Amino acid sequence: MIYDADTGKLACPSCRTRLDIEEMDVPREPAGEATETVTWHCNNCGADLMALPETAATTCSFCGAGVVIAERVTGDQSPHYVIPFTISKEEAIKAFKKWCRNGLLTPKGFMTADRIKSITGIYVPFWLYDLNSRARVNATATKVRTYTSGDYLYTETSYYDVYRELDLHYVKVPVDASVKMDDRFMDRLEPYQYSGLKEFKPPYLAGYLAEKYQFTDAELLDRAKNKIRSYIESAIGSSLSGYTTVTRLSEDIETRNVKSHYVLLPVWLVVYDYDNFEHNFVMNGQTGKVVGKPPLSYGKIAAWFGGIAAGVFLAMKFLSLAMGGGFL
Amino acid sequence: MNGRRRNACFTMLLLLVFGIGLMSTPQAIQAASGPLVYDYAELLSDEEEAALAGLAARLGANRETDFIIITLDGTGGMDIQDYVAHFYDETAPGYDKPHGNAAILAIDLKERDVFLAGFGKAETRLDSGRLDKIRTKITPSLSEGEYYEAFERYVKLAHQYMGYRPGVNPDNILFKFWFQAAVSLVVAGAAVGVMAINSGGRVTVNARTYLDETRSGIVAKHDRFINKTVTRTKIEKPSSGGGSFGGGGGGGVTPGGRSFSSSRGKF
Repeated sequence: MIYDADTGKLACPSCRTRLDIEEMDVPREPAGEATETVTWHCNNCGADLMALPETAATTCSFCGAGVVIAERVTGDQSPHYVIPFTISKEEAIKAFKKWCRNGLLTPKGFMTADRIKSITGIYVPFWLYDLNSRARVNATATKVRTYTSGDYLYTETSYYDVYRELDLHYVKVPVDASVKMDDRFMDRLEPYQYSGLKEFKPPYLAGYLAEKYQFTDAELLDRAKNKIRSYIESAIGSSLSGYTTVTRLSEDIETRNVKSHYVLLPVWLVVYDYDNFEHNFVMNGQTGKVVGKPPLSYGKIAAWFGGIAAGVFLAMKFLSLAMGGGFL
Repeated sequence: MNGRRRNACFTMLLLLVFGIGLMSTPQAIQAASGPLVYDYAELLSDEEEAALAGLAARLGANRETDFIIITLDGTGGMDIQDYVAHFYDETAPGYDKPHGNAAILAIDLKERDVFLAGFGKAETRLDSGRLDKIRTKITPSLSEGEYYEAFERYVKLAHQYMGYRPGVNPDNILFKFWFQAAVSLVVAGAAVGVMAINSGGRVTVNARTYLDETRSGIVAKHDRFINKTVTRTKIEKPSSGGGSFGGGGGGGVTPGGRSFSSSRGKF
């Protein structure tokens, strides 16, 4: 049985049985330590296989059956929620090809996207943080007014002592807890639509790879705080609008972790072979957004650069002409 | 008519973009006008004189104006302005006709006077304000004794300024080739840079994505007025006639009744 992204149910490829996961009753007994490499037994073909410490779900190398390593998704290791894949493998390939075609600077040979080497669905462990920040800011602000009277231009500057205290709640800020995944890629995969969050049940993982978290929520709290740092900054900035200048005298920001949830979020990993070089892409398994580092074509860069430069130059020439400045 | 003009314009643009014929001013029929360089003070070699005359003829044809250079070692007691006025009346230069379009640069080594005048079309296209600008730019070279460089600069500037509509500031940075080129390169670089950065997927979350707006907000604030300062500056009244782009302070009328724009100074 594997998870079917189109119907959101468990499906048997042979007999077309469909099982509704949300109605399934999966026991959640606490399990023992599961930090070591484990041997697991494929119930389908009887093979004994090894799995890496972070692997929570995989497929049998012999018969291809989806397997969930139970002790890695139960007890402490049990994810709270999961967003199941809504984009199937075929849709993922299609979406990736479409994305490649839209590349403005990618080489022509790359745009055809006909050399996808592998595409793998993986549930990546994330922590979702609910954070509460208190920001206290003291500042000196000015308002400037100018007016003329007689032969003089008057500039009137009013000084204010300004204080702001903000209470900011950020909910479900995602931080990936996988060592393998490039953080910058993961950050750009956002946003996930949280309306798709489901209570975790192991059958969701069937047919996909899954990892368990490799960092605890306490270890990643600083990264979460870093992510919202600029958001807090802009909230403070907009609370101080209306002044000509603002000089901040003191700024005190306290952020605490209200709660954090361990979730698995769907990601398609696409390995693409171009010019004897492998390019890795990740795709949001829920929204289809693609992130990666595509190759850039110098020819296209030069063409765009030249075209835009020539266009702007002409515009400047016309502006000059319109202002009476002549053309040459 | 309008369409044809636009077509002509567009063709010129294309030539420009592809870098062909950037300065290919048409070698128009040279009007039968007199010499353009009167080197009475013997400041220039024969080659320099020929080169200047050639340049002035070529650029002058483009503006339908004679660009004339006069060097003097004494004016025979006349003021340099009167000298140039008489010169225009008597020599009757002009690209289009006698007493026609002409710009005259005269320098007198004895009095160290430099004088510029514009007649005909050059009177409006090279008004006194623009002549002042040209004079300011060539005076340092004249003072250094680099006459050829100064004269060459005068011809080129006069040609350039005459291409601008009367009344606009010829030194507007928007008219400068280097500025136009720099802006295009910077804009193109920035655009391509943004495209390259975004090629791998953009960040599509912002400060409000994860903010719970119902619970967030300002919980305490104050805005206390401390004090107020007032400064005053006197408004500069534009001095009459000093508007350097609107005609300038110079100008006059020749004994023969021909008006001109002018600028004078020492070097």
